[in-house]
Amino acid sequence: MRSTILCLILLNLLVSGLSAQEEHTFDLSKIGKKAFHFGGYLEFRPVLFGLDRDSWLYKLNLYDLEEGETIAEYNFNALLDFSYEKGIVRAKIRTNTDITKSFSGWSYETTLYEAFFSVKPSLSLHLDIGKKRMKWGKGYAWNPVAFIDRSKNPNDPDLALEGFVVLSMDYIKSFKGKLKTISLTPVLMPVYDHINSDFGERNKLNFGGKAYFLFYDTDIDLMFLSGGSMPARYGIDFSRNMTSNFEIHGEFAYIPGYSKKVIDRSGSITEENYTSTSYLLGFRYLTRINTTFIFEYFKNGSGYTFNQMENFYFLIEQAYQSYLLTGDNSQLNFLAGAATQDYRTFAPMQEYLYLRISQKEPWDILYFIPSFTSIINLTDKSFSLAPELLYNPITNLELRAKITVLLGKDGSEFGEKQNDFRLEFRGRYYF
Amino acid sequence: MKRVVSVFFISFLLSPVFATDNTQLLKQVDRNLNPESFESYRKLINIEPNGREKEFVLFTVKKGKDKVAALFISPASEKGRSTLRLDENMWLYIPNIGKPVRITSLQSVVGGVFNNADILRLDYAEEYDVAKVEDLEDEYLLYLKAKTNSVAYDQLKMWADKEQSLPNKIECLTEASILIKTIYFKQIKDFGGGIVRPSVIETDSPLHQGYKSVMIFAGIKHREFKDEVFTLPFLSNLESLR
Repeated sequence: MRSTILCLILLNLLVSGLSAQEEHTFDLSKIGKKAFHFGGYLEFRPVLFGLDRDSWLYKLNLYDLEEGETIAEYNFNALLDFSYEKGIVRAKIRTNTDITKSFSGWSYETTLYEAFFSVKPSLSLHLDIGKKRMKWGKGYAWNPVAFIDRSKNPNDPDLALEGFVVLSMDYIKSFKGKLKTISLTPVLMPVYDHINSDFGERNKLNFGGKAYFLFYDTDIDLMFLSGGSMPARYGIDFSRNMTSNFEIHGEFAYIPGYSKKVIDRSGSITEENYTSTSYLLGFRYLTRINTTFIFEYFKNGSGYTFNQMENFYFLIEQAYQSYLLTGDNSQLNFLAGAATQDYRTFAPMQEYLYLRISQKEPWDILYFIPSFTSIINLTDKSFSLAPELLYNPITNLELRAKITVLLGKDGSEFGEKQNDFRLEFRGRYYF
Repeated sequence: MKRVVSVFFISFLLSPVFATDNTQLLKQVDRNLNPESFESYRKLINIEPNGREKEFVLFTVKKGKDKVAALFISPASEKGRSTLRLDENMWLYIPNIGKPVRITSLQSVVGGVFNNADILRLDYAEEYDVAKVEDLEDEYLLYLKAKTNSVAYDQLKMWADKEQSLPNKIECLTEASILIKTIYFKQIKDFGGGIVRPSVIETDSPLHQGYKSVMIFAGIKHREFKDEVFTLPFLSNLESLR
């Protein structure tokens, strides 16, 4: 009798437990707005690099490395957001801390990504002062019209980036009819010894702006930047949904007095002045089975030709041979320095393709997205291939495994990178 | 013969009246579901066959026939994400990326069975014409046909309660009448301000056997907004409306 009662109680507990699980509640008091917010993520990212010891960039960056065919690196990262909002004012701070254990030992760096103060006197008017990102452009992998932003890494375009110190304003106006929205964003950007000093020529107050229109269901932006830290530049971008599963976008940047630092085979640097035009065309297409294709073509008017890159690689080889003979690494240090940094950007040459194919939740595995990304240098036909698995096993935890293989003949961009492949895992916890 | 002609003529005359009535019925369902302009909170729960659940909380604002925006309040991994819909245009703002990107109605920003069109839903009468109405015992069965091919579902079959003019169930179908998902409206609740509507929406799909998504409504209230709230530059500031 006692065991029967016990069974009944257990059964009752089980059933009530199940029904409690099925009963979903929503308590508004738990989601009240707080003036102060603290959040962000913590990340652990071990990386295994497969070295290409014959490549020129290996000879430039890792010439004195005494490791084997692979090197491991352990990255710990914390992105922290603090914000305070009260009435019409808001303050936001975003910091990024990287702790890295690599073949050269431990390194630590904290960077203030954003720190700005906002005032919103009305819904139509918005003033920001401080360090922030402007985020201009519609491209996914590249943004030639992002005149006041740091370059995105096309291998990881969604990464948070550091901003610049600006004074900016947003004025928004909505309309009825085909022109639905206009917004104007004038920007002042000082470049001095201690403010935005890495942006361009110092002791200049730069002025830029963006005008946004939602016209005939198309996003259109016109933008410019002038002031002397960089040659004046003008841009336009657009984006439009053609159907419920097909989006197109593009960007065009025009820089009349562009100045490109070019190094010749003797090692002397000259400035090549010309009118640079860059553009990007792309689309995003979603199939019936939830496969997303992102495709972009990028013509980089500021990039180097095949011969110019070849000259740079030739100098690296010469400097490396000199180092082997004499032990003098000064030429290598020069080539790895700021004077030639444009040769080592994310898109140093002139024509690229970007393709990303991702499959949302295959085999009914929720929050699981396998994808495949390829970046192709059309000038030298070298390319990267990067399969990736992204999974959120529990709320706020994101796991990513990715391998990037770089392929190309000798003398090509991806063929001369210091790695043949890069295998990485990323665990990120949001709070 | 005269009788046949008369009947045909009368039905011809009356057909626009029926069409108007049917459209009115759909508009009534829309108004009973929510005011034309309002704010609300929603909890979205994706439930997997093994019982695992993931919850999202959204703050939503809507104005008029074609403007709706939603802000993710939780979980932390999604906090600050915002979505905007202006007619058939949809954007997603992700704080890390920092700029709005266009998304499509068939994508899903939360995973699971609900897609963007479900989360940023406009009035049914805005997107669908009433093809016909069947008079059932306690319900009307409305056959809805998408006005354009940019609407997420080509056809809907809506079972609406006769007395309350509220939907009980909606089947979402492709152009070839293949069932994509079924939406169930449950637990009618008085939210105040004359808003009495289902507080829970559940959906399942034959394309995702065993999976279910639930949407729970709270804090629905009438609120007027300026048009400027529903613009890309404002998308990163939706939090200030709470």
